[in-house]
Amino acid sequence: MKSAAKKTEYADEHTEWSGGMVTEGKDVPEALEEQTITFQAIGVDDDLAPEGAPAGNGKVPAAEGAADEAAPTADPTADGAGETAQAAEDTDRAEEPPHAVESADDSEPSAAAVEQAGADGTDGADVANSADKSDIAEESDIAEVSAASEVLNASEVLDAPEVPEDPERTASAEDAPEAAAETAHEPTAHEPTGQSELTEWSEPTEWSEPIGLAEVSGPVREVPLPKPVSRALTAALSNLKNSVTGLRLGLDVPGVEDARKAQAEILAQLENYVIPRVHMSTAPALVVVVGSTGAGKSTLVNTLAAAKLSVTGVRRPTTGTPVLACHPDDREWFAKGEVLGGMIRVDRPGTDGTLESLVLSTSERLPPGVALLDTPDIDSVVEAHHEVAHRMLDAADLWIFVTTAARYADAPSWGVLRRAKERGARLAIVLSRVPVKSRDVIDKHFARMLQEYGLGDVERFVVNESVVTAGRLPEEEVAELRMWLTELSVDDQRREQAIQATLDGVMSSFRARVPALARHLEAQVAFRAELRTDVDAAYMAALAEIDEVTTNGSLLRGEVLARWQDFAGSGDLMRTLHLRRPGRLTTKASQQAPARSRAFKQALRAALESVIVSAGQRAAEEVVNRWRQRDGAGGRLAASPGLGGPSEEFVRRVGRTVGAWQEHVVGLVRSGGVAKRSVAKLVSFDVESLALVFMIGLLGYGSSEVAETSGTGTLPDRLLRGVLGADSLRTIGTKARSDLRARISLLFDEETLRYVQVLDEAGIPDEAAAKRLYQATYNLEVAR
Amino acid sequence: MTVSGGRAGTMETRSDLGQRMAALAKVVELGPGRVDPALIAEAGRLLLRAGDRLKLSGEHTVVALAGGTGSGKSSLFNRVSGLELSPTGVRRPTTARPHACVWGIDGAGPLLDWLQIQWRHRFARASALDRGESQLHGLILLDLPDHDSIRAITDHEADRLIQIADVIVWVLDPQKYADAATHGKYVAELAGHEAVTVFALNQADRLAPEELAECVVDLSDLLKREGVQHPRIVPTSAATGRGVNSLKSVLAESVAGRRAAVQRLEADLDRLMGRLTKVMPKAQTMAVQPTVDLARQEGLTDALSDAVGVPAVGEAMENVYGVRSLDWVGWPFARWASRLRPDPLASLRIGNLRDEIKAVTAAKVSAQPAEVENAVQALADGLTSGMPEAWRNGVRDAARSQVKRLPEVLSGELSETAPRLDRVPGWWRLLKVWQYLLVALFAAGLAWAGAIVVYGVLKLGKAPAELLGDVSVLPWLGVMVVSVLGLGLLSAIASRNFVVLGAGKERDRLERDMRRRISVVSKDMVVKPVEQELQRYNEFFAALAAARR
Repeated sequence: MKSAAKKTEYADEHTEWSGGMVTEGKDVPEALEEQTITFQAIGVDDDLAPEGAPAGNGKVPAAEGAADEAAPTADPTADGAGETAQAAEDTDRAEEPPHAVESADDSEPSAAAVEQAGADGTDGADVANSADKSDIAEESDIAEVSAASEVLNASEVLDAPEVPEDPERTASAEDAPEAAAETAHEPTAHEPTGQSELTEWSEPTEWSEPIGLAEVSGPVREVPLPKPVSRALTAALSNLKNSVTGLRLGLDVPGVEDARKAQAEILAQLENYVIPRVHMSTAPALVVVVGSTGAGKSTLVNTLAAAKLSVTGVRRPTTGTPVLACHPDDREWFAKGEVLGGMIRVDRPGTDGTLESLVLSTSERLPPGVALLDTPDIDSVVEAHHEVAHRMLDAADLWIFVTTAARYADAPSWGVLRRAKERGARLAIVLSRVPVKSRDVIDKHFARMLQEYGLGDVERFVVNESVVTAGRLPEEEVAELRMWLTELSVDDQRREQAIQATLDGVMSSFRARVPALARHLEAQVAFRAELRTDVDAAYMAALAEIDEVTTNGSLLRGEVLARWQDFAGSGDLMRTLHLRRPGRLTTKASQQAPARSRAFKQALRAALESVIVSAGQRAAEEVVNRWRQRDGAGGRLAASPGLGGPSEEFVRRVGRTVGAWQEHVVGLVRSGGVAKRSVAKLVSFDVESLALVFMIGLLGYGSSEVAETSGTGTLPDRLLRGVLGADSLRTIGTKARSDLRARISLLFDEETLRYVQVLDEAGIPDEAAAKRLYQATYNLEVAR
Repeated sequence: MTVSGGRAGTMETRSDLGQRMAALAKVVELGPGRVDPALIAEAGRLLLRAGDRLKLSGEHTVVALAGGTGSGKSSLFNRVSGLELSPTGVRRPTTARPHACVWGIDGAGPLLDWLQIQWRHRFARASALDRGESQLHGLILLDLPDHDSIRAITDHEADRLIQIADVIVWVLDPQKYADAATHGKYVAELAGHEAVTVFALNQADRLAPEELAECVVDLSDLLKREGVQHPRIVPTSAATGRGVNSLKSVLAESVAGRRAAVQRLEADLDRLMGRLTKVMPKAQTMAVQPTVDLARQEGLTDALSDAVGVPAVGEAMENVYGVRSLDWVGWPFARWASRLRPDPLASLRIGNLRDEIKAVTAAKVSAQPAEVENAVQALADGLTSGMPEAWRNGVRDAARSQVKRLPEVLSGELSETAPRLDRVPGWWRLLKVWQYLLVALFAAGLAWAGAIVVYGVLKLGKAPAELLGDVSVLPWLGVMVVSVLGLGLLSAIASRNFVVLGAGKERDRLERDMRRRISVVSKDMVVKPVEQELQRYNEFFAALAAARR
């Protein structure tokens, strides 16, 4: 209370502080006795009322726009209350009417609460101060009585922000939808649109949910205030959540399954536990009972609840649907709660018993503020159970680990203990089904094992093997455990410590788990780069090989050689050149020439094609081979059909490419031939044939064994130099070669594309995502 | 069943198993590079184990008590053996080393060595001392360490023995009978082993009769879901001794048959073959023609001929001969006339290229490597359609095994048969002489005619010989000169026709010869390795089918 008062004083100056007072307002009509206490406590703040009320006035229109209905009462406090009540109507849809009725007779103390609420409002919407109450008075005419009767609701609603401890933001979030109404009072100055307000606070979306929570707020008791959550922490958490959500782990590198699991786990834990938990009060705490199949988890829960809530039996595994047992007062809280939000609440385990549902049951015997969750096992043949159990653990405030005399050395059990240790979760261990006569031996042995494992100081309870009747153990067996739970229920500080320890542990675990995820992502990025390099390297090698073959003359073999011999030996080469003299007789041979040079050209083309095709084939095989040697995804991707060879289109494309190149060369020779005028006067030449001679020269005629190099250069070289001139020949040579290279590169690029496509289909890891994860982790650390 | 009958049965199944194992050995031999190495390795291990086990005592049956920690393996072991051999306790895990109890120690030593049971953990029951227990003679009962405690994470003793024991008795208890550690890794995996698997639901005393019944039904359902068709479940209680005799009689049955070891190996083999079948398609449909058919060989020869340029070589030969023959057998006058024509090369001052151009024809036949490669690739592609990927690569690699050397060999082989384009046949020379003879005759005739004109017609002097002055010879002489000219032209035309005709025939012969040689080389260097690979492929699938039974 003291802290609340102190904080209220600061309300106007430091809006952030105002969150502290919230908890006091946790009034629910069902617990009227407790309410009274609360109100009295708040009454201490009476002197603050004048300050708070007008502020409340200002706030309410901002939040509600309901001022037109507010009563023009003399008492500013009541006025504020009325409006506040109105605010309640919209926000507090479901529960308002009964509350209103019940609280009517309580109006006196409520007034105080309203002041309090008003103060909250002020803090929340400091902005709204300028909207003075007279404005409101003009517009509103609702009965004072009704205002008074709704006071309680008002206090409730305004309590809503209390849970998230940061009313200013809550208020602003509330404001958002009503911004239009609010402009009537504050046309321009503050919050002209909901949007601007929303953007001002870093995470408005986070806040819409806690409001819903607050509507079903638990019984009021003296709960220590949760540590105020800084805006930075909220932002950091949601940032982390977004980063993890946006993560795509496409490639099957080793460990991708683990990484995906880790991602889902972190996400579930953030959504189901961490984000709700940092904004909630510490009650009730969720105690998850976890352990092997047949260890007696259900029996234990039944015994503690003194009712058969969860099925027990000899069949293994027994429990399929998780069962949550809590005090009746806590039921509402869990029915709508954020924790384990993804699970469907049911009243009793259905016949279908899906793992996605959660049975809610209540027992008076359970201490309030502490809920027990009976989970499926961690080690039975039904593997879906393990997953559910681990999901439950991720949302737990405290863990009760149940094992038995026969099981305490089982590997899965120690898996859970390791997890608890890693997460830094608050843990209690129940060693159950212990034969009485060997109790000491087993207990000591187990204690030593725990000691060696570094869990020596964990609280341990031993339950003797005893007769189970109606799914319950004799009460005396669990007395110790019940005491422990009751202490947790009563001793708020202890409970808070326990919860905080688990929460801290989980957040600390992010320090290792999130970067691990990021590292995996980096591995994916690197892996993809490697696969990409494999493709490029293979095709680069192919290109180099073609380069070599097309310069060293090894291309000029087989048919090309025979055609060349035909071409040169039959005199066609000589006939390429004619002296310019009209009226030359055409001989039979020169009529044949086009056919021969065509065949020669065709042979050249075929040879060039075959070189490119075989290089392409080998490059494709090389890529697949290299990919196979990589682990995981490489082999799988390499198995995609058609990658082991060139594409279907390849041969046709090669044909087109080589043909186009030949035409290009003819063009070059034609245009280059014009250069040497002195020759042109004397000699005319057949461009097509000369281009063939040029190609032979370009493809390395002289350097092969075809002809010995004479001192002055190879045959085609000298011939062409004679005809075209040395400079022109050089230019054409360079151009033709680079053109061939460019064309082949283009061809291979198209081939490469197929692999890139396969890679892309497998998922493109985002390189920036890893950085975002690191950043988010760092931010979280800083914010804590 | 009499003992001898049992033995005969054992021998029969043994030889059957032997054949299957031999087939598996074949699979292991042919499989590397074609099948997942992990499977091949496992098959190899199974072969080794089968060899070892079948060599060792067939009179003994190794029965292992396996189960989770705390299920009562050791207690049951002690109950069955009737002695406190294996220490029991409440601390978990209790047993760390396997214990063995042998009924009938003769010949069991090597088997126990093979099982790697330490000497101090071996116990023998002289069956003579146990009246009424003679049916257990030949039993080697093993008490295994647990497989599910934290100790087992680093100690694979239980795992090892579970994999090699003849009969496994799974000792379960009401608390742990549905543990994933037992079912996921072992029971479901070894679902086909039901002939050599018994489930003992121990600690039955902890349950009420109706609970026990429920438990047994639940366990039975669970096992059936996992693929154990007819699970043998024996409720036992090591504490009270209930059900131990039932277990003993179940064991006695296995021991008396002397078949458990073979059954176990058969079940292991079946499981392995099941896994192999999953990655390999059905063998029956996979058989291929083990030879490369003629059409494909023909196709390969064609493609290789193209790579060498056989048709082009023939054509070039024909053309080049035709042109070159002009220098030898052509009409000298026409040749001299053509020389008078201006030479474009000379006008470009590169006249000396003419000889070089002629020298072009000196080069030998050779094969184009890239085209050879593509031809071989095409053959492999054609043969392997429908084969599993690994085998397709195998055939391709086999086809390519000598592809680097092939162009060289082809070139060498063919240059032997193909004539050099610049060679000069003898009759060309003869004809050249003949043509020059005619030219000389022509010249002589002209000279004679000139002399007659000088001496006979113009009477410018006295003819040195009578004939030189005889005018009447002149018309005859004219006829002779003309006919010499004509003869030269005619023989030039005729011999050119001969050259062309001869070249045509030569071309046919050459092409046939080259094709023949190419087909011989390709058969040797491409087809043979491919056929070997196809053979191997067929053998592999035949062995797979045989091992599968």
